[in-house]
Amino acid sequence: MVNKHDVKKRMRQLAADYIHEPQQEAYKLDDTEMMLHIGPQNPIQPGPFLIDLKISGETVRDSKLYMGYGHKGIEKILESLTYIQGLPITDRMCYLSSLSNNEAYVSSVERLLDIEPPERSQYIRVIMQELSRIQSHLLGTGEYATDLGFVTMFLFMIREREYVLGLIEDITGARITHCFPRFGGVREDLPEGWREKAIDVLAMINEKCETYKELFSSDRTYRMRTVGIGTLTKEDVIKVGLTGPALRAAGIDYDVRKVYPTLTYPDIDFKVQTGNNGDIFDRIMVRINEIQESCWIIEQALDQIKPGPLFPDELPYGRRTPSMRVPPGEAYVPVEDPRGEIAIYIVSDGTDKPYRVKVRGPSFALMQGLPPMLENVYIADVPAIAASMDSCNSEVDR
Amino acid sequence: MLEEQMDILLGLLYTIFGNENWWGPWIRGVVGLCAMGAIMVSAMFAVWLERKYASDIQSRIGPNRVGGRYGLLQLIADAIKLFAKEDLKPDKVDTPVWVGAPILMFGSALLMLIAIPFGAFVFNGTTYPLAVTQFDISILYLEAVSAIGIIGIFMAGWGSNNKFSVIAAFRNIARMIGYEVALGLTIVSVVIVTGSLNIVDIVEAQRSVVWFAFVMPLGFMIFGVSLIADMGRIPFDQNEAEEELIAGWGTEYSGMRFGLAYFAEYIHMVLGSCIAVLIFLGGWNMPGFLVDLNIPLIGLLPAGIFLAKWVLVMMFVILIRWALPRIRIDQVTSIGWKILFPLAMVNLVWAAMLGLVWPW
Amino acid sequence: MVLKNFEEMVKNTFRPSVTRLCPEVPTEVSDRYRGMHKLDRDKCIGCGICAGTCPTRAIRIVRHGRWFPMIDFGHCMFCGLCVDQCPNEALTMTKEYIEVISPDRYALIYGPAQLMGEED
Repeated sequence: MVNKHDVKKRMRQLAADYIHEPQQEAYKLDDTEMMLHIGPQNPIQPGPFLIDLKISGETVRDSKLYMGYGHKGIEKILESLTYIQGLPITDRMCYLSSLSNNEAYVSSVERLLDIEPPERSQYIRVIMQELSRIQSHLLGTGEYATDLGFVTMFLFMIREREYVLGLIEDITGARITHCFPRFGGVREDLPEGWREKAIDVLAMINEKCETYKELFSSDRTYRMRTVGIGTLTKEDVIKVGLTGPALRAAGIDYDVRKVYPTLTYPDIDFKVQTGNNGDIFDRIMVRINEIQESCWIIEQALDQIKPGPLFPDELPYGRRTPSMRVPPGEAYVPVEDPRGEIAIYIVSDGTDKPYRVKVRGPSFALMQGLPPMLENVYIADVPAIAASMDSCNSEVDR
Repeated sequence: MLEEQMDILLGLLYTIFGNENWWGPWIRGVVGLCAMGAIMVSAMFAVWLERKYASDIQSRIGPNRVGGRYGLLQLIADAIKLFAKEDLKPDKVDTPVWVGAPILMFGSALLMLIAIPFGAFVFNGTTYPLAVTQFDISILYLEAVSAIGIIGIFMAGWGSNNKFSVIAAFRNIARMIGYEVALGLTIVSVVIVTGSLNIVDIVEAQRSVVWFAFVMPLGFMIFGVSLIADMGRIPFDQNEAEEELIAGWGTEYSGMRFGLAYFAEYIHMVLGSCIAVLIFLGGWNMPGFLVDLNIPLIGLLPAGIFLAKWVLVMMFVILIRWALPRIRIDQVTSIGWKILFPLAMVNLVWAAMLGLVWPW
Repeated sequence: MVLKNFEEMVKNTFRPSVTRLCPEVPTEVSDRYRGMHKLDRDKCIGCGICAGTCPTRAIRIVRHGRWFPMIDFGHCMFCGLCVDQCPNEALTMTKEYIEVISPDRYALIYGPAQLMGEED
């Protein structure tokens, strides 16, 4: 039996950390300082979080980050649903890159079930991952452009993204929450005539990315706002625990597709895009280069794909996945999300529902990287830095 | 014959508008109100132009429902919506300051109206500029009055009792202090070449030779940048940056108070473009390469030329807004003081040399 | 410097616009679009697998002569698991999406007759 008073004392200790009172060190103000809340409700935020900035004039002296306003309890919900019912729920963790979330979940369950999808399904899953990466980078970079006041770039990127979403919709049937992979394969095959359409769209996106790179790098007003600002050096980046384009912009070439290759990534030849300095400019360039690299990966996959079955032979049910008993064990398979490394750690106890699901989301570390970067910058840099990290708030809070 | 007809016409005009009868000043007042109404209509046109041109740049269709296929009456629908909103006054605002801010902005924008000639009317060889009054120091008056609007924005920022608004108000003052100096110096350089502060004389001086934009390109560029900073448009709109400071000085305004301030900004844009056309782009004079066509300049044709140039200048201002990102406030002040101010001094020297040789 | 931006923006004004005028021009959705459901009376055997699979429990099996599913579109998240599991392929998804908009949430509960298209 737990002592009620011990519990209350502990809860008071925990609560004191979250009270916005001037007793905390960060909240003691001099005569020249002011507390500014980039608050839970702000027109520019992609989701609710709170950054308290202590500013003096226009310079930020200190900052404190509060997250958790959008906690939905997804990990607990997944404990009460069967494995196949949990698949649409993982879609909705980060709705912009839902195919990567699905892939992480399905790969973990496949490792628990000890089955491997056939080659055609693996190629289709690679194509879907890369398409999802293209559209997520286009939207993330567009949102970042609006935070700089550059609204026209946002509209250009959204216009291109519509073509990519049309391609995805032709295969899966939905624009954002796809629920497409299944345990051992994929839901449906590529439709007729999709390949020619995809090659046209990818050629157009490749050409437009060259235009975007020129528009971003030759504009002097843009360079004044981004070069040398929001820098995270190599040591800082490893200390915070970042992955994804924010890590690669600092110069470290860690890409989950090369380090822990799953599916057919070993057969496809691609380069890992890195930057030099780890400032805002490099992060955006890494993302646009990754879009072009993804176009090249999809073209190779479309060349290498061969007709074949979608599910392995020993699987009698195919896409009609029943509520099955998964053998006990645990599995952790990392996948390269557009924002970093995502992995879903599943512990199974032999029944048809998981015992514990823990999501290692990439956006949590991206948000944690904000307070070290926000020392001695101007207020106007804060939204630019936060948007260049491109974190998805619903995945932070889950 | 013609002299007698002119005399009768002038006598009639004096009877209607002069001070002999009791109705003279009232009719002049009504004409003034009509001029104000015309400016508001042109500001509506400016808003429509901005929305349509922005949508063309961004591959989309702009307003297309209200008033026909091109959405010409969209602003009337917006104004009706703004009138119908609840008039919210937050609890702890400084009431006279907060209420007076949009009124001051609107009033100062309209004060510029009396000295700007909107084209000219040519009859029988003489040019009658279409201005409400002409006085000898009109360009000085225009620049002074256009700076009163800053006080309005500062009042809005201070009176709102809101941290975001105060930051926006301080940024605004910092920006304006830097760019008013450069603006003033370029206008002074034009005045040196012309030798007169009267804006009609400046336009007349450009008729014989060439527009000032071609002989003083440096001054034209400085004037252009300073004018965009003066109007508070991107890349210089830090005071109403929607990203950092929710709506800057306009955070606590809603309904028609916001509508007044918004409209005042567009009137400022309209009148600022007019000044740019008059001072640097030759006003209502025919462009040099079209003089060979020997089109007789009679009637309202100069006013038409003026309108065409004005639309082109406004389209350029709108293009700059939608094509560039916003600059940070410390970079704004550093550009204003470290780059534009020395260049304006250089331009002043150049203008002094030019003024010695300018043929009148 | 900034001229590349201006050149690109001015070039873009001459390209056609990509907006779709909303109510007049309907959206073109793909053939596999997961819209509202449609039930085939002859193929449905009333097994209840679709109701057991639904993650949000939006499907219930009710009597309409035989046993048929009744779908609450307020809860449905259009994931398509029920369509995958149906052993006879009686439940399919159409391209219809406008009808999900309704001012009354009880009107979104579609009984078997509405799903089969026999009643409005």
